[in-house]
Amino acid sequence: MSGDGAIAPVVRALSQEQLQAYADAAHDHNPIHIAPAFAAVTPFGGTIAHGMLVLATIGEMMHAALGERWLSSGRLKVRFRAPARPGDTVTATADAAGDGAYAVRCCNDRGDVLIEGRASVGA
Amino acid sequence: MTSSARTPVSALPRGHAFTPARFTPQAADVRAYLDAVGDGTSYGDAVPPLAALALGLAALQEQLSLPAGSLHTGQEVEQLAVMRAGEDLTLSGEIAQRSERQGLVISVIALEVAAAGAPALRARTTILVPAASS
Repeated sequence: MSGDGAIAPVVRALSQEQLQAYADAAHDHNPIHIAPAFAAVTPFGGTIAHGMLVLATIGEMMHAALGERWLSSGRLKVRFRAPARPGDTVTATADAAGDGAYAVRCCNDRGDVLIEGRASVGA
Repeated sequence: MTSSARTPVSALPRGHAFTPARFTPQAADVRAYLDAVGDGTSYGDAVPPLAALALGLAALQEQLSLPAGSLHTGQEVEQLAVMRAGEDLTLSGEIAQRSERQGLVISVIALEVAAAGAPALRARTTILVPAASS
């Protein structure tokens, strides 16, 4: 598939338990992700998901669309625009960018853009 | 320049090179990662790019600390070859950029994961840290 095919979105609900599981798997125990009491007194007012945890929805989506090519030559460049929180449902989407690449995005269930950028595979 | 143990990322100057870190993602590590992110896809013995990056960053944390309040604000990943569970990988990297603005330190870590001596993944990770945390 080049950059003009439809790509199925990936939708995922986030929980505090999932944040803890990701922290353990990735050895990233920053308290902003896993310590509600700590996070409550930060400007975020509560825990937020690891950016890489949310970004994984985009990786899953691109692999579903591009298969082995994603595993051998996937390219991704994103900005984390806003945090996801436990209780959010996040949706990853991709739109053809016209040059063999995709504009990728991840939004929460309020429509806030959490992540956006571009994805492609090598020639 | 190489790192001392567990230096806050915001205290590292541009050009600081990390000591290459070896890691071997086992199938169980990849499964734990996929379970944590809720990805039920079967990847066989392949290590998905973001799993390799996440596990590589974990290996880097033996040299690097992320102060409380650190935020991951940008990520680039370029996969160059398929990586396999059980494969010995080497992570190398450096502080590619460092700047301070409005009480924040912005550090860009350039990373490369190599398998059998050949690059398999390159990445650039942007981290924002309150300067007071340095």
